[in-house]
Order: sequence, then C-alpha cells, then structure tokens
Amino acid sequence: MGLFGGLDANSQLFIQGYFTTITLTVAALGSALVIGTVAASARVWGGPVVQSFVRGYVEFFRNTPLLVQLLFYAVLLAPANLNITRDPMVAAIIGLSIYTGAYVTEVVRSGIISVDPRQIEAARSLGLSQLEALRFVVLPQAIRTVIPPLGNLSIALVKNTAIAGGIAATDLLKVAGIIESRTGGDFTPYIAILVAYWTLTLPLAWAVSRLERRLAFAR
Amino acid sequence: MGFRALLAFPAPMNQDARTDIGSAGVSRPDTAVRPMIEARGVDKRFGSFQALRRVSLEVGRGEVVVVIGPSGSGKSTLLRCVNRLETADSGEIVVDGRKLSDPRLDVNELRREIGVVFQSFNLFPHMTVLQNLMLAPMRVRKLDRAAAEARARKLLDKVGIPEKSDARPTQLSGGQQQRVAIARALCMEPKIMLFDEPTSALDPEMIKEVLDVMMALAHDGMTMMVVSHEMGFAREVADRVVFMDQGEIVEVGTPAEFFQDPEQERTKRFLNTILRH
Ligand SMILES: Nc1ncnc2c1ncn2[C@@H]1O[C@H](COP(=O)(O)OP(=O)(O)O)[C@@H](O)[C@H]1O
Ligand SMILES: [Mg+2]
Repeated sequence: MGLFGGLDANSQLFIQGYFTTITLTVAALGSALVIGTVAASARVWGGPVVQSFVRGYVEFFRNTPLLVQLLFYAVLLAPANLNITRDPMVAAIIGLSIYTGAYVTEVVRSGIISVDPRQIEAARSLGLSQLEALRFVVLPQAIRTVIPPLGNLSIALVKNTAIAGGIAATDLLKVAGIIESRTGGDFTPYIAILVAYWTLTLPLAWAVSRLERRLAFAR
Repeated sequence: MGFRALLAFPAPMNQDARTDIGSAGVSRPDTAVRPMIEARGVDKRFGSFQALRRVSLEVGRGEVVVVIGPSGSGKSTLLRCVNRLETADSGEIVVDGRKLSDPRLDVNELRREIGVVFQSFNLFPHMTVLQNLMLAPMRVRKLDRAAAEARARKLLDKVGIPEKSDARPTQLSGGQQQRVAIARALCMEPKIMLFDEPTSALDPEMIKEVLDVMMALAHDGMTMMVVSHEMGFAREVADRVVFMDQGEIVEVGTPAEFFQDPEQERTKRFLNTILRH
C-alpha cells in the first residue's frame, strides 16, 4: 500500500519513527522560537513583574530534567480513567517547546542586548513604534548574533526528541527498541537510527554555518 | 548663499499647509502664531541629579537656535525632552501646539514631525543607505515603495551623495554617514530638526560638508535646534545662541550680542575656553 507498501513491517516502523522525530523537532522548534522571541522581548522591555516572571520561567525549565517535564505533561493531559495521555505527541511537542523555549529566550535576549540601544532611539525618533523598532531594526541585527547559538539549540533539540520515547511517543529511539525486541537482540536498528539522527543534525550544522556567513556584515 | 539654489528643501509654509490638511478635525487654531517649540520651567532629574533646572525657551517657526555649553550641562537632555526621548519632570513643553505632558499625546505622531540627528549617526547597519531612508516613510507615513524611493533618492541628491544609495553605512566616511542621517530624518518631512553635536565625531576635513547641508536647510526655513560648538556655524546661521551651564539656561542672545558682548560672567568664561582654540 502506498509509498512504503513494498517495505517490510520493520522498515515501515522505522520510517514512521523517523518522521515522528522530524515532526517533533520542527513543531517544537517553531513554537520555541515564538515563545523565546516573545519572552525575551518581555524580559528586556517588560515591567518588573513581567521581567521576573520570564526569569522564573527560564530558570525553572532549564533546571528541571526534560524527561521529568515530559512525564509531567503526559500525566497532566491524561484522561480521568488513565494515568498517561493517549496523545503522547501533543505532550511531547508541548514539553519540548516550553523546555527549548527557555533556552531560546536566553539566546534571543543576549541577541537583543547586543544591539546598540541608540539604534532603538534612532528608530523611535523617526516615529516608529516600539514594536516596529523591534521588528525592523533590533531583531534583524540580533539575528546575526543569535544564529549560531540557535543552530546549536536546534541540534540539541533533535537529540532531545529521543527522550519523547519515555512518554510513549514512537520516535526513532523508541522504534529501534521495538525492532530490536522483535528481531531478538539484533543491534542493527541502533546503528540505523544513529545514521538517521545524523541525516538531521549534520545538514543542520552545515546550514547554520552557511547562514552565519550569509548574514555576516561588517559593523 | 549659493547652496540655496542647489538645495531647495521644502519651505515651512508648504509643510504647514500639508499638516493642516492632514490633521483636519484636530483644532489647533493658534498654531500659526505660536512658536514651534515652547519650554516653560522645565525640570529634569536623573535620580538625585538635576539635569535641567527651570529651563524656559521658545523657538519660533523657521528659527535656528544654537545651544552651547560645557559637557554635562544638559544640552542633550533638553533636546531629548523636546521629542520625548526623555520626559520632563515638571514644567511644560509645547511643540507645534502639542502639550508634551498630555497623557493622550501620541509620541509616535509627535516624533514624525521632529527629525533628529545624533552625534553617532545611528544609521541602521543591516540596511543599505536607501533602505535606511525608506524605512520610516514606508512604515510610518505609509508611502508606497516607489514614492518612498523617489523621495529618498531626491534627498540623497540634495545631501550630495546620490551614488551611495546601495552602499552599507559602514562603507561610508563619517561625513557621508552623517549626511545620510540628515537625509533619513528629512525623508519624514519634519517640521523641526534637532541636531545633537552633529559634527563632534567627525574628522576635521569632513565637518564642512555636514555644516553646508545644515546651512542650506536653515536658509530654506527649517526650524532647527542645534547643539554644536562650531562657532562659525553659530555666527553665520543662528538666529539666537543659548548658553547652558549646570542644567540652566544662563544666557540667550543673537550671535552678534552673544559673541561680542556676553552679559554673564559664566558665558564669558566659557567663550574664552572654546574660542581659545
Ligand atoms: N539617562 C541618564 N541617566 C542618568 N544621568 C543622565 C542620563 N542622561 C544624562 N544624564 C546626566 O545628565 C547630565 C546632563 O547630560 P547631557 O544632557 O547629556 O549633557 P550635555 O549634552 O550638555 O553634555 C550629565 O551629567 C549626565 O551624566
Ligand atoms: Mg550631549
């Protein structure tokens, strides 16, 4: 059936795991970037209450094990008659987003404060609002500082998706375990997923270094 | 002056007409007779430090006022209060009929009418020269790309660097950067231009090219407040010179009165220190 119809059950499972890992990474990275940008802006420009709230968020989620956080969402989202969620992907995406978002917040914050505050004054003096100054003047400059550490965070995120297996999501690592038990202790699935992770992380690392060069400008 | 023909900046009369149409419904019947900038008894403190003490000053429409004074005397703070980069603690500032203490004041709308040129240029390094000039007209004045570009190219022409439109700010000399900064401010067609030591960061050979642009602007009727120690500029262009010291306005006079016959002892001492070299 379909594209993978000719493959055996293990290969199909493997491909499913591969796409689960990609889905987790893409979805969590997207939301972590949104969370991080908003939280970092609030951390830099918000009032004292907002600022300490964001600080609390960052410190809490950076200093708690990711697996514990994921299990927490898995139980929190569980229906009344179960003690674990029926939808581990949702729990995993939420967990990975909020966790990675805390790191993104710190990275974006350092990017924002690396931009000369006089740039904002110049933009505001032209009549741009604070948000417009942020969008057109600060963030485009902050991006350049932020790309390398964000690239590293993305690579870390790919690797962290492996922890999602701990809450029953069928990601690559989980799949390797299933196949291993089916084939009776065969080690090859682990080698296969190793290569599969590389197909995600190595192009990412390459893309980051390319982007870094393209965005570079003399200050 | 010869610049005048070369550099025809929009005359203030036209600007008034434009704004009156643009702000139909908001009645400011007295704008035509009131000064462009009125500061009355302005105080500004930073913590316990008093940066401005009961500063009162009027700048008329089309008037050029040069502000001088030692470092730390509050010159920048005064300029920054006029476009609300700083908020006065007490006293009142009225700009083109707008009370800056009014809680309903739209600061973005106020700032559209006030161009600012900083000592450190503050061009946006991630944009080309043309993009620097087009950003605010497009985002704030809602001009379309073609209109913003036409306006930007016209102003680059006027400040004498049309060929640099696609350069990055960092590829320009200081004098060129400052002229771009002036053009960027003028792209918003402001009614007032504030200059905060526009030539202090420049190598001596580049000062004249920037002052020439400012002089042309003054001759074409722009209302200007200029913090500068370029005494040649003050003598030639200023309608009045203001001397500030320790947050206070010590003396105000026409350049002739001011330089030949200052009244205050503090003014005399300061003029001696700067005119010596
Ligand atoms: N944001 C600020 N916070 C604290 N002190 C300030 C701030 N801005 C200016 N000052 C102080 O106010 C005084 C006047 O500053 P300024 O207006 O920049 O003087 P000038 O432009 O005449 O050199 C200085 O002593 C300066 O240190
Ligand atoms: Mg100053």
